[in-house]
Amino acid sequence: MSVALDAALGVAAVGGMLAVGSLALAFADEAAAAAVAGAPLRPRRLLVAPFRRAASALLTATTTTERPDGGGRALAPALLAGLAALAMSMLPLAPGVVPADPSTGFVVFSAAVAFVMIAVFLHGWSPNSTLPLHGAYRFGAVALSFQIPFLLAMLATALPAQSLSLVRIVEAQAPLWNVIREPLGLPIYLIVGLAVGLWGPLNLPDADDLAGGTSAEDSGLARWLWEAARTSMLVAVAALGSAAFLGGYLGPLLPGPVWVALKTALLLAVMAVARHALARARIERFVEVAWVLLVPLALLNVFVSGAFLL
Amino acid sequence: MVDLGPLAIASAVMVAALLAVLGSWLRAARRPSSRTAPERVPFTGGQPPSVHAWSRYHVRYYPMALLFLAFDMEMVFMYPWAVVFVGEGLVAMVEMGMFIGILLLGVLYAWRERAFRWT
Amino acid sequence: MTSLIARLAAGSDARVFAIAGAGSRAAVQDLRLADGVELVDSPRAADVLLVAGALDPRHHDAVRRVHDALPHPRASVRWAGSRDVLVPGAAHVALGTDPSSAIRAAHQALMHGTMPTEPPLLPDEDPAPWRGVGPYGQGGSGMTGGTPYGRPMAELAPDRDGLRLDLLPTRLGPFSSLLPHGLELDLRVSGDILVGVEVAATGLAASATSASLFIRALTEPVSIAELEIGRARDHLRWTADALRLQGLRALSLRALRLGLHAAPGDHRAVERLAADIARTGIYRWSLPAADGARTELLAGARLGPSTRASGVGEDERQADPAYRSLGFAPLLGAGGGAAAAWRLRLAEAVRSLELAGRGGDTRSAVTGAVESPRGRLALGDAPSGRALGLLPTLIEGMEWGDAMATIAALDIDLDELGAVTAGTSAEAAA
Repeated sequence: MSVALDAALGVAAVGGMLAVGSLALAFADEAAAAAVAGAPLRPRRLLVAPFRRAASALLTATTTTERPDGGGRALAPALLAGLAALAMSMLPLAPGVVPADPSTGFVVFSAAVAFVMIAVFLHGWSPNSTLPLHGAYRFGAVALSFQIPFLLAMLATALPAQSLSLVRIVEAQAPLWNVIREPLGLPIYLIVGLAVGLWGPLNLPDADDLAGGTSAEDSGLARWLWEAARTSMLVAVAALGSAAFLGGYLGPLLPGPVWVALKTALLLAVMAVARHALARARIERFVEVAWVLLVPLALLNVFVSGAFLL
Repeated sequence: MVDLGPLAIASAVMVAALLAVLGSWLRAARRPSSRTAPERVPFTGGQPPSVHAWSRYHVRYYPMALLFLAFDMEMVFMYPWAVVFVGEGLVAMVEMGMFIGILLLGVLYAWRERAFRWT
Repeated sequence: MTSLIARLAAGSDARVFAIAGAGSRAAVQDLRLADGVELVDSPRAADVLLVAGALDPRHHDAVRRVHDALPHPRASVRWAGSRDVLVPGAAHVALGTDPSSAIRAAHQALMHGTMPTEPPLLPDEDPAPWRGVGPYGQGGSGMTGGTPYGRPMAELAPDRDGLRLDLLPTRLGPFSSLLPHGLELDLRVSGDILVGVEVAATGLAASATSASLFIRALTEPVSIAELEIGRARDHLRWTADALRLQGLRALSLRALRLGLHAAPGDHRAVERLAADIARTGIYRWSLPAADGARTELLAGARLGPSTRASGVGEDERQADPAYRSLGFAPLLGAGGGAAAAWRLRLAEAVRSLELAGRGGDTRSAVTGAVESPRGRLALGDAPSGRALGLLPTLIEGMEWGDAMATIAALDIDLDELGAVTAGTSAEAAA
């Protein structure tokens, strides 16, 4: 009975956090875009823009293509949103406050990140259209390359915690945050997090050189749901990144959840700036750098930070 | 005995989000917008395609995908290793270091063989 | 609730898919700066279709197909010199006036439900009869059940690594965001590599005329200050489009805003823009590396910045005594490739603005052949024509994204091409 209640609370909390996080990302993105473009920032317009966009998506019909995989098209955004929610449900909010704390939380998060590949591939493959199909296979190369550095960067945070539970990982940072203990971890995590969230310089599957890639055939609410699922994934990556590297709810004076929100917002702001300040990588360049540079650096990070624990 | 409660809650949250999005998608798709054949033509710039897009796609990064398989197995070993690392101390570090070192040689070999380039 | 949603939706940006017909490319590009209007890359993402400029009858079916790809509710705006029946029911806005208020009005009416959605323009006909053939109505045999919609599946093809996999034929254009509108490419794609490239069609309208400075300079002396400002603006407009293709939309808007009004005093602003672009890492991360054979092709084709990027000092302005009196010497790159051409375009934009500042009222002294922003321009011989001739060789064997970046780097201008070649055919007729 109490599990059912906890689950209901968890659903509400995660839904709320993803929504608020997505709005924060939208604002940060607009602000960064205006700063880079040298255009004036119009705060009132900016605040209502996401709601206006959602309303117009609601009023626009959803198109289909010739002989699409209907089930796959419907499932792709749902799966991506589900994975974001799964990751977010393990975010520690304050000492003893977390929607779900499986003892293998880190493994569950890795699995969610691995499944992003299925969601994006399905999204590109299902419309039976050329440009989305290229986006889908392109993401295959991206996902197979980001997986290992992403997991290794996260893994180093499990060493001091001696546990795979995300709550323990936060608790173990009480003496020293992981961002200082293992300085390479957060940069690698953030770089690769951009690819997990299909964002900015690593938004290869939905890139402009594919005229929108996997979402080129999406319209109306279907398009909006995909965008919402993508941003949710990015929010989840930022939130868990703040827990794993920036000490989560740890911090002086302010209550835990406020620290979580501030740290997540900081990482979202970094990602928003990255989108407008960094050019998109060529697919081949990213694959090579991920394997030849990021994997060894992530391993170095694991072993050097491990050596300090002995 | 592992406490399955937290996993159940996490799964419930995932399923709830999945169903919410799936439900809205299906509701929107019930109002079909593309009723005529030309409205359904996939878009590549205004001309109809000559064939369906689904095909036996040439995945040119397959050598990299094979390398990934090797590293993915390594990750499976690293999860429990991370938990016992502090307890086992230097032994764990040296053993995993040797294992990873050998795998990294594989990356170097793949790099030399241009496995990360296909264009 | 319903009225709240409608009110909110009406306040959102109108999402526009624009078809840029002859003579409207720059005007359509300027719409990116318009308030309340967002240009999108796919008709599926749009609620308003903007059909700008003159379009040949041979493009009419493609226009109709793009129109039908928009989701309901949809509306269209025809932005042209005179009314025509290309898109029945479209609001008409004269070319030369701002269409953004008509676009916003159409979008708001659609969202409030006061304007009915436009019905499809093409008849509901399957491309080939296929329904009812075979046990599930799918027609015949094959991997996914024969030829649904009368379209076959892709066919087997041998490839360079000895594997036999499907070759996906793709017709890109005429109204793709990846190509100048009017250009159609027949691509054969194996995986993400283009293994076959053919230019299927070019040109927007046979009656193409261009008021471009550089075409005027072919027949009469033109003020050098004017020419060089035009060159700088052209380079900045190109930069805006190329940045967008690389996903840097905010920087792209900055380049476009600069390109709209660039004047001799702005050379510092252009320098800052160039530095900020370099800082994004675009030259190292986004653009394909220079390749010997391709660089050699471009080096011999007198394609302006693309040629000079490989260190070849080919520039028509050197032959002009008026330019020489201003101390003009061409800027050269090294090594060639898309990145070198990018850098050179931005450097030339700066240099052109400086030159314009020094130019006073000096006029060009040589007519007949001038250096347009795209290369050597003469009557009957436009740089874009030569670029189109090289294009298949240049992008064959490239990965999709590299190919798109390479096409963008060529800066193909079909209006300029049309005006120059139309001029010669008219002379020949006379």
